[in-house]
Amino acid sequence: MAIYVLRKLVFFLGAIFIASVAIFLLIRGAGGNVAAVVLGKGATPEAINALAHSYGLDRPLFVQYFDWIGNMLSGDLGRSFRTNERVSDLVTARLSVSIPLALSGLILGLIIAIPVGTYAARNVGTPSGAILALISQVGVAVPVFWAGILLSLLFGVRLGWLPTGGWTDWSVSPWGAVRSLVLPVLSLGLIMAAVLIRYVRSAVLDVMNQDYLRTARAVGMTRTEALLKVGLRNASLPLVTIVGLQIAELIGGTVIIETVFSLPGLSRMMLANVAAREVIVVQSTVMLIIIFVIGVNLLVDLLYGILDPRVRSSR
Amino acid sequence: MMTMSKSTHAPAPASGSAGPGVPISPPARKSRRRLPRNASLILGLILTTIFLTVALVSFFYLPSNPNIPVIRNRLLPAGTPGHWLGTDVLGRDIIAQLMVGARTSILVGAGGATLSLILGTIAGLAAAASGKITDEAISRGADILLSIPGMVTALVLAATMGSGALTTILALTAFFTPSFTRVIRSAAMGVLNEDFITAAKLYGRGKIFVLARHVLPNIAGVMIVQFTLYFAAGILTEAGLSYLGVGVHRPSISWGLMLNEAQQQVGVSSPLAIWPGLAIVLMVLGLNLLGDGLRDVLDPKLARRAS
Repeated sequence: MAIYVLRKLVFFLGAIFIASVAIFLLIRGAGGNVAAVVLGKGATPEAINALAHSYGLDRPLFVQYFDWIGNMLSGDLGRSFRTNERVSDLVTARLSVSIPLALSGLILGLIIAIPVGTYAARNVGTPSGAILALISQVGVAVPVFWAGILLSLLFGVRLGWLPTGGWTDWSVSPWGAVRSLVLPVLSLGLIMAAVLIRYVRSAVLDVMNQDYLRTARAVGMTRTEALLKVGLRNASLPLVTIVGLQIAELIGGTVIIETVFSLPGLSRMMLANVAAREVIVVQSTVMLIIIFVIGVNLLVDLLYGILDPRVRSSR
Repeated sequence: MMTMSKSTHAPAPASGSAGPGVPISPPARKSRRRLPRNASLILGLILTTIFLTVALVSFFYLPSNPNIPVIRNRLLPAGTPGHWLGTDVLGRDIIAQLMVGARTSILVGAGGATLSLILGTIAGLAAAASGKITDEAISRGADILLSIPGMVTALVLAATMGSGALTTILALTAFFTPSFTRVIRSAAMGVLNEDFITAAKLYGRGKIFVLARHVLPNIAGVMIVQFTLYFAAGILTEAGLSYLGVGVHRPSISWGLMLNEAQQQVGVSSPLAIWPGLAIVLMVLGLNLLGDGLRDVLDPKLARRAS
């Protein structure tokens, strides 16, 4: 197990290093003269040089890279060019919106997908199974932002039950915050569910064809009993992997849903800074997101190693 | 072949472990074996053909200019002669916009899928055919790239290159190439283990010749299926990016862009938010069904694995 963990950790660090180089080169390489963009068209060359100098943008790229990484390691994510706000402040202020949104969306997706996917697997070939397959096939084709628009049309505009967008902060009114999150979470969760149902269905189908399930049936368990007691445990392995893989999808969905419902979350902050070409803010925020995703995948791998002894020895 | 591919998972619950409480009637089994798979191929083909035709026609004929505002025509309801799906808040015809939108979706989606297919095939074949170190480097590299959310890549590209159709295609390519690489690699590995490859090698054929002459034709099925599915994913992603304002913008028209504009008028005229979304769903559904159907015809092994 120790070697397995060590190998995964090395991969984790290597992945973060490579990703950081890629992000840095992409943003700095293609970004043009950052200082000129920030100051706009009327800026004098002296002003541009002065700004570039004050942010250290005139130094060699690799010096800038190690400076950036070194600062990140010590917790300094840099500052915005225009407002001089700290990136870490910008990010943490938005997490109280983005994290509840993404997390509840994922949980809702799983709550729908696990029972429905299991049901679909048990009913392969029956009309209800076929209808479920069709529904999830259509659900996969629905863009998450369209689901959001339709839900806000129905529950916000027509029925007037929930806000169509905007945000009431937790400190102002926790109930208001929950109300502003209901439709975004619903949109995200439903679309996640459509994708997850197909994975759950095929994971359960795989398990249903295994010998141990036949054995469980042979010793007298009912089909449901065997599935719950023996099958679920085995199907949980691929499920853990899927959740890990879906994290990247989830972040993409959150980016869009925050825009649909004008929530002041992390991705809206990113979008605004992309438009303003705030390279440091974008660069550091992207890096944080990537570290998060790679970190979740590391956890998934480790969990897998704990759940299944075979994984530890084979890899 | 079709019945075979479907039957691997299906008989188990029916014959092997069907409990007394779960009767599975024979007619249902029969219809499952035949109908759904054929149906998905045919339905997918029909939907895809419709959208391809619409996109082609849009180059020669449009009911009216989709970009020029005609204020006296603003917000006409659906069913108005000459504007059968109505007009938007600036009086621009919805059908004309949808037609140009189909063109954009297909060009960007297919562009991204094609570029990543080419790059993914080169990388995948290189990983499968060369030594352990190259394979490990390419595979780990693909793993790392896969962990970067596609939406984030697209945002970074838009931040650095400015947004537009080309940026969107590049973002899709960056997004899809790693997964293409993985699929092609594993498919090529399977072929490379076959006896006829050993025979070709014994005959004195070089590595490149073997790859081009023997491996490529044998993974063509996988490539076509994957292309179709990523085409669909590309259309969804493009719509999302254009909706966010970092994808395609006017004078180009995208369904995502139309939804972005429509959302600002949702209180005024909700049908505006319906049509572009419906177009996206039908086009993506069509391609996904086509991909699933093709998989059964071209690639029964993969179909079995993916159930």
